[in-house]
Order: sequence, then structure tokens, then C-alpha cells
Amino acid sequence: MRKIILFFVTISCQNVFSQELFVITDPASNVPANSLGVNVMQSLFKEEMKSGYNYHFMPEVSYGLNKNIMFRASAFVSNRNSQLVTEGGSFYTKYRFYSTDDLNSHFRLAAYGRYSFNNADIHQEQIEILGHNSGFETGLIATKLIKKVAISSSISFEKALDNKPSYPFPDNIGDNATNYTLSFGKLMYPKKYTNYKQTNINLMVEFVGQTINENGKSYLDVMPAVQFIFNSQARLDFAYRQELVSSMVRSAPNGFYFNLYYTFFDLKKQK
Amino acid sequence: MKKINIGYVLVASMVLMFSMKSNAQISKAEIRATGLTCSMCSNAINKQLKSLPEVVNVETDLNTNTFTITLKEGNELSPKVFKEKVEKAGFFIGSLVVTAKPETIAKNSYILVNDRPNNVTEIQFQVVDKGYVTEKEYKKLSKSYKNVETYASNNEDDFHIKILN
Repeated sequence: MRKIILFFVTISCQNVFSQELFVITDPASNVPANSLGVNVMQSLFKEEMKSGYNYHFMPEVSYGLNKNIMFRASAFVSNRNSQLVTEGGSFYTKYRFYSTDDLNSHFRLAAYGRYSFNNADIHQEQIEILGHNSGFETGLIATKLIKKVAISSSISFEKALDNKPSYPFPDNIGDNATNYTLSFGKLMYPKKYTNYKQTNINLMVEFVGQTINENGKSYLDVMPAVQFIFNSQARLDFAYRQELVSSMVRSAPNGFYFNLYYTFFDLKKQK
Repeated sequence: MKKINIGYVLVASMVLMFSMKSNAQISKAEIRATGLTCSMCSNAINKQLKSLPEVVNVETDLNTNTFTITLKEGNELSPKVFKEKVEKAGFFIGSLVVTAKPETIAKNSYILVNDRPNNVTEIQFQVVDKGYVTEKEYKKLSKSYKNVETYASNNEDDFHIKILN
């Protein structure tokens, strides 16, 4: 259990409903059409099996093709060999297929798929294609917004492949899993808006779990977060992830996220 | 002689077209958007609307998500443009009230669901089609306009309007 990990790097959400802009889960809503979201996520997780911290750097770009479809590309960088190394990348697409809105509320459903590649060593039972395993994931997301509160939940199937070229997926651990998430977000400030320049503050709690399908080994984490939105365009998140229960081997389950996000609205006009 | 006639007709029809253009226009649109409560969401709509070259100014009430759009003279925008823009931002229109010259609604794309006023210099109307009102309201309206034959067909290029003044 030497070396480190790349895991727990995650998605940060890229959309425009701030209460839904969860730190590691993605809502059913999309990036606005024609707009580009640029995200830089950093995480620092404490090593369980050795001393020190595992640092990850994950830049991402998201693009809204139209009102229902978005794409995202990510790169995974970590300090596993004491210097920063790019270990892989990921492509993601999400399709919003159902939407019912009313004044100050909405309910949305979306389907997504992700493919990731990674060349790092495999050293834990947890499957994480964001920065750890090569593999794919496909799932469904439901998101409900009621006034200042957003609730979002997802379920997905995730399968790990060999981390080519050097690290085939071990035969003795399950290579596919079911993931589930439940997230809550609330707009705390301002109570009343006056203009776009006002800083918004959101509080969030996210629950993230996984069960390895073959053997039933599971974990469940909780993640409280605080989020600031500046000028209705830039976003800053701080989050802490803590394992609640786990029956699987994980190399660094607990740690911090720090996330910076900026939206370039309506690219065509800026040309 | 024939040539002259054709030329005359062309010029006359062009003059007519241009005069119709300048008379048939929307000067202001007020949109209430649905499905959002945060300022970043609202800004997405704001930026979409401002990307229209015909737009002079957009004023936003962030607490009600109401966008008041002032438009350039001589524009030929139809209500559909606003719907597309709001939906591109990821949201929907809850109500759209348009201020326009009375000639605007003489275009055959507009279908009145109530009586039009006489002798006004400006009219205000609400678009009551699907996609321009909330889903709940659309259900209600479908009942009240069930004798308006075109209403239920949801043709995207004609607009059922209710005169407000």
C-alpha cells in the first residue's frame, strides 16, 4: 500500500443553479447553451496507509451544446510520485430529457455517461473513474428546486477497466459498482436580491455511496460544503469529505476540496 | 410599358414592405422566467437576451425573475425569439407581455383571443400559447380557449394573444 492515490477527485458541478451547484455531485440541469464553464478543482486527502496527504488537481471545461445537451472534458493530475503527474482524463456528456418548471421551482431528469482513462496503479477496492480508474459510468439524475432549496439524487453503474499500459484491474476485487448520491443545497444569502454583483452564499450537504456489485462491499460519505458566488459568474467552493461507514479498502477517504469555477456566457457573442 | 409597370409594382411593394416593417414592431417585452431562484441563473438569461442585436437594454428584478427588455426601433422580432433565448439558458417563460404598435398584430401570425381596443397608439398583449405561460396556466387556458380552433394545435409560428389595454 505504498503510493498514493488518485481518488476522490470528483466532479464539480457545472451549472447555473447555484443551490444545485454541488461540489461533487452533478444536478440534472445543464450548462447554458453556447456557454463555457471552466473549473479548477483541487483536493487534499489524508493518507490512511502512510503519512502525508494526497493532492489532486483537476481542470475541467464544460460546454452547453444546446438547452438539453452538455459536454465536459477533464484532466487528472496528482502528486502520487512526489511530483505532479498527469495520469489521465475523462469525457462526460449529459442529456436533460425531462423538465417541468413553475415560478421559483423546477423538476428535472437527466441521463449521463462518462468514459475515463488513467495510467495509475490500482490499490483500493473503491472504484473511482474520476482520477483513479480507467472505466465508464452511466446513470440517471433527478433534481428538484423549490424556492431556495435544491434536492438532487442520482444512481449510476460504474465499471472499472485496466489502467493501461501497466496496471490491469485485479481479478480478486469486483470491477463494477452501483453508486448513489443525495445532495441538498440552500441559498443562505442574500435574503433579498438587489443586483447581479451581490455575493451569494450557499450551504450544501452531499451524501455519496458505493456498493461493489459482486461482493456487496460498500461505503457512505458525507460532505458539507460552503459556496460563494461572485458577480453571478464566478464560484468558489470549500468542502470537507468524511467517511461515515465503509466495508472496503480505501486509501484516502477523508479530506478537503477547493474549487474555482468561472462561466463564459454566450460564446458566440464574444467572438 | 409592361416593364415600367413591373418596376412600379416592385417599388410600390418595397415601399409598402418597409413601411410595414417600421410600423409592425415590438418596442418592449417583459418576461417572467420560471424554474430559478438564484442570481447566477438569472444572469444566464440576462446574457442570452443581451446577445440579441435588437436589444437595447435589459432590466432585471432578481426577486421575481422579471426581465424588462427594451428593443431597437424597426426590429422584426417575434415572441419566439424570447422563448428560444430563455430556454437556451436552461429555463422557461412563465409570462410574456409585449408592448407594440397596433399594426403589429395585424400580421397574420397573431391570433387574438379577446377584443382589440380602438384608437390606441400602443398596445400591450400577453402571449398565451404553450411555452409562454406556466404549465399550470396552460392547462387552465386550454379549457377556456377550447373554442379557439388554432389554440390546441400549438403551431410554433402563430401566437395567440390577449390584449391587456
